Amino acid sequence: MSSDLIRVPINGISDIICARLTVRREAARIGFSTADQTRVATAVSEVARNVINYATEGVCTLRDDSNSDELHLQVTIEDHGPGIDNVVEAMRDGYSTGGGLGAGLPGTCRLVSLFNIESRQGLTRVTFSLIRKRA
Amino acid sequence: MRVPIIRLGRILLISIQTDLTDNDALCLQSDLIKKISDTEAQGVAIDITALDVVDSYMARIINDTVCMAQLLGADVVISGVQPFVALSMVEMGSDLIRAECVFNLEQAMKRLEIRMSTRGDICLKRDNYVQ
Amino acid sequence: MSAKAFSKLLSTIIEHNRDVLNDEWTSHVMETMGAKYPGILNRDEIHRHADTYITELSAYFKDWNEESSAIQAGSRLGVVVSELSGDHAKRGIRPMDTALYVVAVKRTITKKLITTLSDSPDQLNGCVDVLGVLLDQLTLLTFDSYTTAREKVITQQSQSLLELSTPVILLWNNVLLLPLVGVIDTIRARQFTERMLEAITRHEGIVTIIDVTGVPVFDTGVARHIMKAVDAAQLLGSKIVMTGISPEGAQTLTKLNISFSNVISRVSLRAGVAEALKMVGRRIETINGAAQQ
Repeated sequence: MSSDLIRVPINGISDIICARLTVRREAARIGFSTADQTRVATAVSEVARNVINYATEGVCTLRDDSNSDELHLQVTIEDHGPGIDNVVEAMRDGYSTGGGLGAGLPGTCRLVSLFNIESRQGLTRVTFSLIRKRA
Repeated sequence: MRVPIIRLGRILLISIQTDLTDNDALCLQSDLIKKISDTEAQGVAIDITALDVVDSYMARIINDTVCMAQLLGADVVISGVQPFVALSMVEMGSDLIRAECVFNLEQAMKRLEIRMSTRGDICLKRDNYVQ
Repeated sequence: MSAKAFSKLLSTIIEHNRDVLNDEWTSHVMETMGAKYPGILNRDEIHRHADTYITELSAYFKDWNEESSAIQAGSRLGVVVSELSGDHAKRGIRPMDTALYVVAVKRTITKKLITTLSDSPDQLNGCVDVLGVLLDQLTLLTFDSYTTAREKVITQQSQSLLELSTPVILLWNNVLLLPLVGVIDTIRARQFTERMLEAITRHEGIVTIIDVTGVPVFDTGVARHIMKAVDAAQLLGSKIVMTGISPEGAQTLTKLNISFSNVISRVSLRAGVAEALKMVGRRIETINGAAQQ
Protein backbone atom coordinates (compact mmCIF):
# COMPACT_ATOMS: atom_id res chain seq x y z
CA MET A 1 0.00 0.00 0.00
CA SER A 2 2.89 2.32 0.64
CA SER A 3 4.05 4.33 -1.54
CA ASP A 4 5.15 7.46 -3.13
CA LEU A 5 6.48 10.28 -1.07
CA ILE A 6 4.87 13.68 -1.26
CA ARG A 7 7.29 16.57 -0.83
CA VAL A 8 6.26 20.10 0.02
CA PRO A 9 8.95 22.79 0.19
CA ILE A 10 8.66 25.25 3.05
CA ASN A 11 10.30 28.46 1.92
CA GLY A 12 8.00 31.16 3.18
CA ILE A 13 5.09 31.97 5.43
CA SER A 14 2.51 31.08 2.78
CA ASP A 15 4.02 27.60 2.38
CA ILE A 16 2.78 26.78 5.87
CA ILE A 17 -0.77 26.89 4.55
CA CYS A 18 0.22 24.89 1.50
CA ALA A 19 1.88 22.22 3.67
CA ARG A 20 -1.08 21.80 5.95
CA LEU A 21 -3.55 21.68 3.08
CA THR A 22 -1.47 18.97 1.46
CA VAL A 23 -1.20 16.94 4.64
CA ARG A 24 -4.91 17.27 5.28
CA ARG A 25 -5.70 16.07 1.77
CA GLU A 26 -3.32 13.15 2.12
CA ALA A 27 -4.73 12.19 5.54
CA ALA A 28 -8.23 12.29 4.08
CA ARG A 29 -7.17 10.11 1.16
CA ILE A 30 -5.67 7.52 3.52
CA GLY A 31 -8.97 7.45 5.40
CA PHE A 32 -8.34 9.36 8.63
CA SER A 33 -11.32 11.00 10.33
CA THR A 34 -11.84 14.76 10.12
CA ALA A 35 -10.64 15.06 13.71
CA ASP A 36 -7.40 13.29 12.85
CA GLN A 37 -6.96 15.33 9.67
CA THR A 38 -7.18 18.46 11.79
CA ARG A 39 -4.73 17.04 14.36
CA VAL A 40 -2.07 16.25 11.81
CA ALA A 41 -2.61 19.50 9.88
CA THR A 42 -2.20 21.46 13.12
CA ALA A 43 0.95 19.51 13.95
CA VAL A 44 2.43 20.28 10.52
CA SER A 45 1.53 23.94 10.87
CA GLU A 46 3.22 24.08 14.24
CA VAL A 47 6.48 22.48 13.11
CA ALA A 48 6.58 24.27 9.75
CA ARG A 49 6.36 27.56 11.57
CA ASN A 50 9.47 26.65 13.56
CA VAL A 51 11.24 26.03 10.27
CA ILE A 52 10.32 29.49 8.99
CA ASN A 53 11.24 31.17 12.26
CA TYR A 54 14.60 29.51 12.82
CA ALA A 55 15.86 28.14 9.56
CA THR A 56 13.92 30.12 6.95
CA GLU A 57 13.53 27.12 4.65
CA GLY A 58 13.02 23.40 4.78
CA VAL A 59 11.00 20.57 3.34
CA CYS A 60 8.05 18.53 4.51
CA THR A 61 7.73 14.92 3.35
CA LEU A 62 4.63 12.75 3.70
CA ARG A 63 4.61 8.98 3.52
CA ASP A 64 1.67 6.60 3.60
CA ASP A 65 2.77 3.62 5.71
CA SER A 66 -0.66 2.06 6.12
CA ASN A 67 -1.16 -1.69 6.12
CA SER A 68 -4.19 -3.93 6.36
CA ASP A 69 -4.50 -3.40 10.13
CA GLU A 70 -3.83 0.26 10.58
CA LEU A 71 -3.77 3.66 8.94
CA HIS A 72 -0.36 5.23 9.21
CA LEU A 73 0.75 8.62 7.93
CA GLN A 74 4.34 9.60 8.53
CA VAL A 75 5.43 13.22 8.29
CA THR A 76 9.07 14.34 8.21
CA ILE A 77 10.01 18.00 8.35
CA GLU A 78 13.67 18.87 7.82
CA ASP A 79 15.66 22.04 7.69
CA HIS A 80 19.32 22.99 7.52
CA GLY A 81 19.16 25.81 10.03
CA PRO A 82 21.22 26.33 13.17
CA GLY A 83 19.53 23.48 15.05
CA ILE A 84 17.94 23.43 18.48
CA ASP A 85 20.42 23.81 21.33
CA ASN A 86 18.68 21.69 23.85
CA VAL A 87 16.13 19.26 22.47
CA VAL A 88 15.08 17.95 25.90
CA GLU A 89 14.49 21.50 27.06
CA ALA A 90 12.56 22.38 23.89
CA MET A 91 10.18 19.48 24.48
CA ARG A 92 9.26 20.77 27.93
CA ASP A 93 6.01 22.64 28.31
CA GLY A 94 6.46 26.36 28.47
CA TYR A 95 9.71 26.51 26.54
CA SER A 96 9.95 28.79 23.55
CA THR A 97 12.60 31.01 22.10
CA GLY A 98 10.83 32.45 19.11
CA GLY A 99 7.36 33.51 20.16
CA GLY A 100 4.30 31.31 20.04
CA LEU A 101 2.78 30.13 23.25
CA GLY A 102 5.64 27.85 24.09
CA ALA A 103 3.28 24.97 23.46
CA GLY A 104 4.75 24.40 20.00
CA LEU A 105 6.68 21.16 20.11
CA PRO A 106 5.29 19.51 23.24
CA GLY A 107 1.78 20.39 22.05
CA THR A 108 2.46 18.88 18.65
CA CYS A 109 3.73 15.77 20.37
CA ARG A 110 0.36 15.36 22.10
CA LEU A 111 -1.55 15.54 18.81
CA VAL A 112 0.19 12.60 17.12
CA SER A 113 0.97 8.95 17.87
CA LEU A 114 4.75 8.94 17.46
CA PHE A 115 7.05 11.91 17.68
CA ASN A 116 10.79 12.14 17.25
CA ILE A 117 13.17 15.03 16.92
CA GLU A 118 16.87 15.09 16.12
CA SER A 119 18.81 18.27 15.85
CA ARG A 120 22.37 19.41 15.34
CA GLN A 121 24.06 22.34 13.66
CA GLY A 122 22.89 22.28 10.04
CA LEU A 123 20.17 19.65 10.32
CA THR A 124 16.98 19.51 12.30
CA ARG A 125 14.61 16.67 11.55
CA VAL A 126 11.20 16.28 13.15
CA THR A 127 9.39 13.04 12.37
CA PHE A 128 5.91 12.22 13.56
CA SER A 129 3.23 9.69 12.69
CA LEU A 130 -0.48 9.42 13.08
CA ILE A 131 -1.53 5.80 13.53
CA ARG A 132 -5.06 4.48 13.92
CA LYS A 133 -6.44 0.97 13.89
CA ARG A 134 -8.67 0.31 10.93
CA ALA A 135 -12.33 0.06 11.92
CA MET B 1 -5.31 39.40 1.36
CA ARG B 2 -7.00 42.02 3.54
CA VAL B 3 -9.97 40.93 5.61
CA PRO B 4 -12.73 43.57 5.53
CA ILE B 5 -14.01 44.99 8.82
CA ILE B 6 -17.66 45.91 8.66
CA ARG B 7 -19.16 48.48 10.99
CA LEU B 8 -22.73 48.07 12.24
CA GLY B 9 -23.46 50.88 14.68
CA ARG B 10 -21.07 50.41 17.56
CA ILE B 11 -20.23 46.86 16.64
CA LEU B 12 -17.42 45.82 14.32
CA LEU B 13 -18.00 42.65 12.42
CA ILE B 14 -15.29 40.47 10.92
CA SER B 15 -15.98 37.37 8.95
CA ILE B 16 -12.86 35.50 7.96
CA GLN B 17 -13.55 33.70 4.68
CA THR B 18 -10.31 31.87 3.92
CA ASP B 19 -7.30 30.40 5.63
CA LEU B 20 -5.09 33.22 6.89
CA THR B 21 -1.33 33.42 6.61
CA ASP B 22 0.50 34.82 9.61
CA ASN B 23 0.92 38.14 7.85
CA ASP B 24 -2.78 38.36 6.97
CA ALA B 25 -3.60 37.72 10.60
CA LEU B 26 -1.21 40.35 11.91
CA CYS B 27 -2.53 42.78 9.34
CA LEU B 28 -6.08 42.12 10.45
CA GLN B 29 -5.04 42.63 14.05
CA SER B 30 -3.59 46.08 13.41
CA ASP B 31 -6.48 47.09 11.11
CA LEU B 32 -8.94 46.08 13.80
CA ILE B 33 -7.41 47.92 16.72
CA LYS B 34 -7.03 51.02 14.62
CA LYS B 35 -10.67 50.83 13.62
CA ILE B 36 -11.78 50.30 17.22
CA SER B 37 -10.00 53.38 18.34
CA ASP B 38 -11.21 55.39 15.33
CA THR B 39 -14.86 54.45 15.72
CA GLU B 40 -14.99 53.86 19.45
CA ALA B 41 -16.59 50.53 18.82
CA GLN B 42 -17.97 48.84 21.92
CA GLY B 43 -18.23 45.36 20.54
CA VAL B 44 -16.33 43.16 18.11
CA ALA B 45 -17.65 39.95 16.58
CA ILE B 46 -15.13 37.74 14.82
CA ASP B 47 -16.25 34.70 12.89
CA ILE B 48 -13.54 32.11 12.34
CA THR B 49 -15.57 29.35 10.68
CA ALA B 50 -13.14 29.30 7.76
CA LEU B 51 -10.09 28.56 9.90
CA ASP B 52 -9.68 24.82 9.81
CA VAL B 53 -6.31 24.86 11.54
CA VAL B 54 -5.58 27.02 14.56
CA ASP B 55 -2.08 26.33 15.81
CA SER B 56 -0.51 27.89 18.88
CA TYR B 57 0.68 30.91 16.93
CA MET B 58 -2.73 31.68 15.49
CA ALA B 59 -4.30 31.11 18.90
CA ARG B 60 -1.90 33.65 20.31
CA ILE B 61 -2.74 36.21 17.62
CA ILE B 62 -6.43 35.76 18.39
CA ASN B 63 -5.86 36.09 22.14
CA ASP B 64 -3.61 39.11 21.71
CA THR B 65 -6.27 40.73 19.56
CA VAL B 66 -8.95 40.04 22.17
CA CYS B 67 -6.73 41.52 24.83
CA MET B 68 -5.94 44.63 22.80
CA ALA B 69 -9.59 45.18 21.94
CA GLN B 70 -10.54 44.93 25.59
CA LEU B 71 -7.91 47.50 26.49
CA LEU B 72 -9.53 49.76 23.92
CA GLY B 73 -12.88 49.22 25.61
CA ALA B 74 -14.49 46.79 23.20
CA ASP B 75 -16.07 43.47 24.16
CA VAL B 76 -15.15 40.58 21.87
CA VAL B 77 -17.20 37.54 20.96
CA ILE B 78 -15.75 34.82 18.73
CA SER B 79 -17.99 32.61 16.65
CA GLY B 80 -17.73 29.50 14.53
CA VAL B 81 -14.82 27.61 16.09
CA GLN B 82 -14.74 24.31 14.20
CA PRO B 83 -15.26 21.26 16.42
CA PHE B 84 -11.97 19.62 15.52
CA VAL B 85 -10.08 22.86 15.79
CA ALA B 86 -11.35 23.10 19.36
CA LEU B 87 -10.30 19.50 19.94
CA SER B 88 -6.78 20.05 18.60
CA MET B 89 -6.41 23.16 20.72
CA VAL B 90 -7.30 21.47 23.98
CA GLU B 91 -5.21 18.43 23.11
CA MET B 92 -2.17 20.54 22.36
CA GLY B 93 -2.70 22.27 25.65
CA SER B 94 -2.13 25.62 24.02
CA ASP B 95 -3.97 28.57 25.47
CA LEU B 96 -7.67 28.50 24.79
CA ILE B 97 -9.48 31.46 23.37
CA ARG B 98 -9.91 34.02 26.10
CA ALA B 99 -13.19 35.39 24.87
CA GLU B 100 -16.78 34.26 24.86
CA CYS B 101 -17.42 31.79 22.02
CA VAL B 102 -20.74 31.19 20.27
CA PHE B 103 -21.91 29.23 17.24
CA ASN B 104 -22.46 31.88 14.60
CA LEU B 105 -22.30 35.58 13.84
CA GLU B 106 -25.98 36.08 14.53
CA GLN B 107 -25.57 34.83 18.09
CA ALA B 108 -22.40 36.82 18.45
CA MET B 109 -24.30 40.01 17.61
CA LYS B 110 -27.02 39.13 20.10
CA ARG B 111 -24.49 38.47 22.86
CA LEU B 112 -22.72 41.74 22.16
CA GLU B 113 -25.97 43.66 22.26
CA ILE B 114 -26.84 42.12 25.63
CA ARG B 115 -23.41 42.87 27.03
CA MET B 116 -23.34 46.36 25.64
CA SER B 117 -26.73 47.16 27.17
CA THR B 118 -25.18 46.82 30.62
CA ARG B 119 -22.35 49.23 29.92
CA GLY B 120 -22.24 52.61 31.55
CA ASP B 121 -21.07 54.32 28.38
CA ILE B 122 -23.90 53.06 26.20
CA CYS B 123 -25.73 56.37 26.56
CA LEU B 124 -22.86 58.34 25.11
CA LYS B 125 -23.58 59.36 21.58
CA ARG B 126 -20.44 59.17 19.63
CA ASP B 127 -20.72 62.74 18.37
CA ASN B 128 -21.17 64.67 21.60
CA TYR B 129 -18.38 62.57 23.05
CA VAL B 130 -15.73 63.26 20.50
CA GLN B 131 -16.26 66.94 19.99
CA MET C 1 14.91 -44.38 0.48
CA SER C 2 14.88 -40.58 0.75
CA ALA C 3 12.32 -38.43 2.50
CA LYS C 4 11.12 -37.42 -0.95
CA ALA C 5 10.43 -41.01 -1.87
CA PHE C 6 8.58 -41.60 1.40
CA SER C 7 6.47 -38.55 0.74
CA LYS C 8 5.59 -39.81 -2.73
CA LEU C 9 4.64 -43.17 -1.28
CA LEU C 10 2.59 -41.49 1.44
CA SER C 11 0.80 -39.41 -1.16
CA THR C 12 -0.05 -42.50 -3.19
CA ILE C 13 -1.36 -44.33 -0.15
CA ILE C 14 -3.50 -41.36 0.92
CA GLU C 15 -4.83 -40.88 -2.61
CA HIS C 16 -5.60 -44.58 -2.90
CA ASN C 17 -7.51 -44.74 0.39
CA ARG C 18 -9.02 -41.29 0.44
CA ASP C 19 -12.63 -42.39 0.85
CA VAL C 20 -11.79 -44.72 3.70
CA LEU C 21 -9.59 -42.15 5.39
CA ASN C 22 -12.24 -39.53 4.95
CA ASP C 23 -14.93 -41.68 6.56
CA GLU C 24 -12.72 -42.79 9.39
CA TRP C 25 -11.54 -39.30 10.22
CA THR C 26 -15.08 -37.98 10.12
CA SER C 27 -16.33 -40.73 12.42
CA HIS C 28 -13.42 -40.27 14.76
CA VAL C 29 -14.01 -36.53 15.06
CA MET C 30 -17.75 -37.01 15.50
CA GLU C 31 -17.16 -39.59 18.22
CA THR C 32 -14.61 -37.62 20.17
CA MET C 33 -16.16 -34.17 20.03
CA GLY C 34 -19.53 -34.26 18.30
CA ALA C 35 -21.28 -34.51 21.66
CA LYS C 36 -19.36 -31.57 23.08
CA TYR C 37 -20.52 -29.16 20.41
CA PRO C 38 -24.07 -30.18 19.52
CA GLY C 39 -25.43 -28.04 16.72
CA ILE C 40 -22.01 -26.58 16.01
CA LEU C 41 -20.29 -29.55 14.45
CA ASN C 42 -22.27 -31.68 12.04
CA ARG C 43 -21.35 -34.72 10.06
CA ASP C 44 -21.85 -33.35 6.54
CA GLU C 45 -19.70 -30.38 7.21
CA ILE C 46 -16.91 -32.37 8.78
CA HIS C 47 -17.08 -34.68 5.81
CA ARG C 48 -16.61 -31.74 3.46
CA HIS C 49 -13.72 -30.46 5.54
CA ALA C 50 -12.17 -33.90 5.56
CA ASP C 51 -12.42 -34.05 1.80
CA THR C 52 -10.51 -30.83 1.11
CA TYR C 53 -8.10 -31.46 3.93
CA ILE C 54 -7.13 -34.93 2.75
CA THR C 55 -6.91 -33.80 -0.86
CA GLU C 56 -4.48 -31.05 0.14
CA LEU C 57 -2.48 -33.41 2.35
CA SER C 58 -2.04 -35.76 -0.54
CA ALA C 59 -1.10 -32.90 -2.88
CA TYR C 60 1.40 -31.63 -0.34
CA PHE C 61 3.20 -34.95 -0.08
CA LYS C 62 3.14 -35.42 -3.81
CA ASP C 63 5.05 -32.17 -4.40
CA TRP C 64 7.16 -32.51 -1.29
CA ASN C 65 10.78 -31.51 -1.40
CA GLU C 66 13.36 -30.42 1.13
CA GLU C 67 13.12 -26.68 0.45
CA SER C 68 9.37 -26.36 0.39
CA SER C 69 8.65 -28.66 3.32
CA ALA C 70 7.96 -25.81 5.77
CA ILE C 71 4.28 -25.02 5.84
CA GLN C 72 3.46 -21.42 4.98
CA ALA C 73 0.20 -19.86 6.08
CA GLY C 74 -0.29 -18.84 2.45
CA SER C 75 0.23 -22.29 0.90
CA ARG C 76 -2.84 -24.27 -0.12
CA LEU C 77 -2.67 -26.69 2.78
CA GLY C 78 -1.84 -23.78 5.08
CA VAL C 79 -4.91 -21.88 3.93
CA VAL C 80 -7.18 -24.89 4.46
CA VAL C 81 -5.91 -25.38 8.01
CA SER C 82 -5.87 -21.72 9.03
CA GLU C 83 -9.34 -21.13 7.62
CA LEU C 84 -10.60 -24.07 9.56
CA SER C 85 -8.98 -22.84 12.78
CA GLY C 86 -10.24 -19.32 12.26
CA ASP C 87 -13.71 -20.66 11.66
CA HIS C 88 -13.53 -22.73 14.83
CA ALA C 89 -12.34 -19.76 16.83
CA LYS C 90 -15.31 -17.69 15.66
CA ARG C 91 -17.74 -20.47 16.55
CA GLY C 92 -16.37 -20.81 20.05
CA ILE C 93 -14.78 -24.23 19.67
CA ARG C 94 -11.94 -24.53 22.17
CA PRO C 95 -8.33 -24.34 20.94
CA MET C 96 -7.51 -27.82 22.25
CA ASP C 97 -10.38 -29.38 20.34
CA THR C 98 -9.41 -27.48 17.20
CA ALA C 99 -5.92 -28.90 17.46
CA LEU C 100 -7.29 -32.39 18.05
CA TYR C 101 -9.53 -31.96 15.03
CA VAL C 102 -6.55 -31.23 12.81
CA VAL C 103 -4.26 -33.81 14.39
CA ALA C 104 -6.80 -36.63 14.34
CA VAL C 105 -5.88 -37.28 10.72
CA LYS C 106 -2.48 -38.50 11.87
CA ARG C 107 -4.04 -41.37 13.74
CA THR C 108 -6.27 -42.29 10.83
CA ILE C 109 -3.45 -42.22 8.29
CA THR C 110 -0.99 -44.00 10.59
CA LYS C 111 -3.49 -46.84 11.07
CA LYS C 112 -3.81 -47.18 7.33
CA LEU C 113 -0.01 -47.13 6.88
CA ILE C 114 0.42 -49.90 9.44
CA THR C 115 -1.94 -52.20 7.61
CA THR C 116 -0.62 -51.30 4.13
CA LEU C 117 3.11 -51.38 4.88
CA SER C 118 3.14 -54.13 7.49
CA ASP C 119 5.76 -56.11 5.55
CA SER C 120 8.28 -53.27 5.03
CA PRO C 121 9.07 -51.62 8.38
CA ASP C 122 11.58 -49.21 6.79
CA GLN C 123 8.97 -47.68 4.55
CA LEU C 124 6.48 -47.58 7.40
CA ASN C 125 8.97 -45.76 9.62
CA GLY C 126 9.87 -43.28 6.92
CA CYS C 127 6.27 -42.44 6.09
CA VAL C 128 5.25 -42.03 9.74
CA ASP C 129 8.23 -39.77 10.22
CA VAL C 130 7.36 -37.49 7.30
CA LEU C 131 3.75 -37.41 8.42
CA GLY C 132 4.78 -36.55 11.99
CA VAL C 133 6.92 -33.62 10.91
CA LEU C 134 4.08 -32.15 8.89
CA LEU C 135 1.46 -32.62 11.60
CA ASP C 136 3.69 -30.88 14.16
CA GLN C 137 3.84 -27.88 11.90
CA LEU C 138 0.12 -27.97 11.26
CA THR C 139 -0.53 -27.99 15.00
CA LEU C 140 1.51 -24.84 15.43
CA LEU C 141 -0.21 -23.23 12.48
CA THR C 142 -3.60 -24.16 13.90
CA PHE C 143 -2.74 -22.58 17.19
CA ASP C 144 -1.44 -19.46 15.52
CA SER C 145 -4.42 -19.00 13.21
CA TYR C 146 -6.78 -19.72 16.06
CA THR C 147 -5.22 -17.03 18.23
CA THR C 148 -5.15 -14.51 15.42
CA ALA C 149 -8.81 -15.11 14.63
CA ARG C 150 -9.72 -14.85 18.31
CA GLU C 151 -7.85 -11.59 18.65
CA LYS C 152 -9.70 -10.25 15.65
CA VAL C 153 -13.01 -11.19 17.24
CA ILE C 154 -11.99 -9.49 20.47
CA THR C 155 -10.91 -6.33 18.65
CA GLN C 156 -14.19 -6.24 16.78
CA GLN C 157 -16.12 -6.71 19.97
CA SER C 158 -14.30 -3.97 21.82
CA GLN C 159 -14.81 -1.72 18.81
CA SER C 160 -18.53 -2.34 18.76
CA LEU C 161 -18.61 -1.81 22.50
CA LEU C 162 -16.91 1.50 21.90
CA GLU C 163 -19.54 2.37 19.31
CA LEU C 164 -22.34 1.49 21.68
CA SER C 165 -21.01 3.14 24.74
CA THR C 166 -20.99 6.83 23.88
CA PRO C 167 -24.25 8.05 22.42
CA VAL C 168 -24.91 11.77 22.23
CA ILE C 169 -28.59 12.37 22.80
CA LEU C 170 -30.53 15.39 21.60
CA LEU C 171 -32.61 15.91 24.74
CA TRP C 172 -34.43 19.01 23.61
CA ASN C 173 -33.80 21.70 20.99
CA ASN C 174 -30.25 22.92 21.64
CA VAL C 175 -29.84 20.65 24.65
CA LEU C 176 -27.57 17.62 24.39
CA LEU C 177 -27.05 14.78 26.84
CA LEU C 178 -23.86 12.78 26.98
CA PRO C 179 -24.18 9.88 29.41
CA LEU C 180 -20.74 8.49 30.20
CA VAL C 181 -20.74 4.87 31.26
CA GLY C 182 -17.83 2.70 32.26
CA VAL C 183 -14.12 3.21 32.33
CA ILE C 184 -12.91 6.37 30.59
CA ASP C 185 -9.51 5.73 29.03
CA THR C 186 -7.70 7.85 26.48
CA ILE C 187 -9.26 6.18 23.44
CA ARG C 188 -12.79 6.42 24.78
CA ALA C 189 -12.22 9.97 25.95
CA ARG C 190 -11.03 10.95 22.48
CA GLN C 191 -14.01 9.26 20.94
CA PHE C 192 -16.72 10.79 23.11
CA THR C 193 -15.12 14.21 22.81
CA GLU C 194 -15.10 14.02 19.02
CA ARG C 195 -18.72 12.88 18.96
CA MET C 196 -19.84 15.47 21.41
CA LEU C 197 -18.19 18.29 19.46
CA GLU C 198 -19.71 17.11 16.20
CA ALA C 199 -23.14 16.92 17.79
CA ILE C 200 -22.78 20.35 19.38
CA THR C 201 -22.02 21.86 15.99
CA ARG C 202 -24.74 19.95 14.20
CA HIS C 203 -27.52 20.72 16.68
CA GLU C 204 -26.19 24.03 17.97
CA GLY C 205 -26.12 22.57 21.43
CA ILE C 206 -26.33 25.64 23.63
CA VAL C 207 -26.17 23.41 26.68
CA THR C 208 -24.51 20.02 26.96
CA ILE C 209 -25.20 17.82 29.96
CA ILE C 210 -22.38 15.42 30.80
CA ASP C 211 -23.74 12.73 33.07
CA VAL C 212 -21.08 10.78 34.96
CA THR C 213 -23.40 8.62 37.08
CA GLY C 214 -22.09 5.56 35.23
CA VAL C 215 -18.40 6.31 35.67
CA PRO C 216 -17.13 3.98 38.38
CA VAL C 217 -13.84 5.67 39.24
CA PHE C 218 -13.25 9.38 39.17
CA ASP C 219 -9.51 10.03 39.24
CA THR C 220 -7.15 12.64 37.83
CA GLY C 221 -7.04 10.91 34.44
CA VAL C 222 -10.81 10.87 34.03
CA ALA C 223 -11.09 14.42 35.34
CA ARG C 224 -8.48 15.62 32.88
CA HIS C 225 -10.25 13.98 29.96
CA ILE C 226 -13.56 15.53 30.97
CA MET C 227 -11.95 18.91 31.49
CA LYS C 228 -10.56 18.82 27.97
CA ALA C 229 -13.99 17.97 26.62
CA VAL C 230 -15.48 20.84 28.62
CA ASP C 231 -12.87 23.30 27.32
CA ALA C 232 -13.41 22.23 23.72
CA ALA C 233 -17.19 22.47 24.07
CA GLN C 234 -16.87 25.97 25.48
CA LEU C 235 -14.68 27.00 22.55
CA LEU C 236 -17.60 26.13 20.29
CA GLY C 237 -20.01 28.11 22.44
CA SER C 238 -21.75 25.39 24.41
CA LYS C 239 -22.30 25.57 28.16
CA ILE C 240 -21.69 22.48 30.23
CA VAL C 241 -23.83 21.06 33.01
CA MET C 242 -22.28 18.13 34.81
CA THR C 243 -24.45 15.67 36.68
CA GLY C 244 -24.10 12.56 38.77
CA ILE C 245 -20.81 13.05 40.61
CA SER C 246 -20.83 10.80 43.67
CA PRO C 247 -19.84 12.10 47.11
CA GLU C 248 -16.63 10.06 46.86
CA GLY C 249 -16.00 11.57 43.43
CA ALA C 250 -16.43 15.08 44.83
CA GLN C 251 -14.03 14.24 47.66
CA THR C 252 -11.39 12.87 45.32
CA LEU C 253 -11.66 15.81 42.94
CA THR C 254 -11.31 18.33 45.73
CA LYS C 255 -8.31 16.50 47.16
CA LEU C 256 -6.78 16.55 43.69
CA ASN C 257 -7.45 20.27 43.52
CA ILE C 258 -9.78 19.98 40.56
CA SER C 259 -12.75 22.29 40.90
CA PHE C 260 -14.50 22.28 37.51
CA SER C 261 -15.13 25.93 38.21
CA ASN C 262 -16.34 26.59 34.67
CA VAL C 263 -19.23 24.13 34.78
CA ILE C 264 -22.48 23.98 36.66
CA SER C 265 -22.65 20.73 38.60
CA ARG C 266 -25.83 19.09 39.87
CA VAL C 267 -26.07 15.94 41.88
CA SER C 268 -28.80 14.29 39.85
CA LEU C 269 -29.52 14.11 36.16
CA ARG C 270 -33.02 15.33 37.01
CA ALA C 271 -31.70 18.57 38.48
CA GLY C 272 -29.24 18.90 35.61
CA VAL C 273 -32.01 18.62 33.02
CA ALA C 274 -34.05 21.30 34.81
CA GLU C 275 -31.01 23.57 34.90
CA ALA C 276 -30.20 22.98 31.24
CA LEU C 277 -33.77 23.65 30.13
CA LYS C 278 -33.79 26.90 32.06
CA MET C 279 -30.69 27.99 30.16
CA VAL C 280 -32.60 27.67 26.89
CA GLY C 281 -35.67 29.32 28.39
CA ARG C 282 -37.81 26.23 28.98
CA ARG C 283 -39.15 24.37 31.97
CA ILE C 284 -41.08 21.25 32.74
CA GLU C 285 -44.55 21.91 34.19
CA THR C 286 -47.47 19.94 35.50
CA ILE C 287 -50.31 19.93 33.00
CA ASN C 288 -53.41 21.68 34.40
CA GLY C 289 -56.01 19.23 35.60
CA ALA C 290 -53.76 16.24 35.27
CA ALA C 291 -54.22 13.53 37.85
CA GLN C 292 -52.10 14.19 40.91
CA GLN C 293 -50.27 11.16 42.13
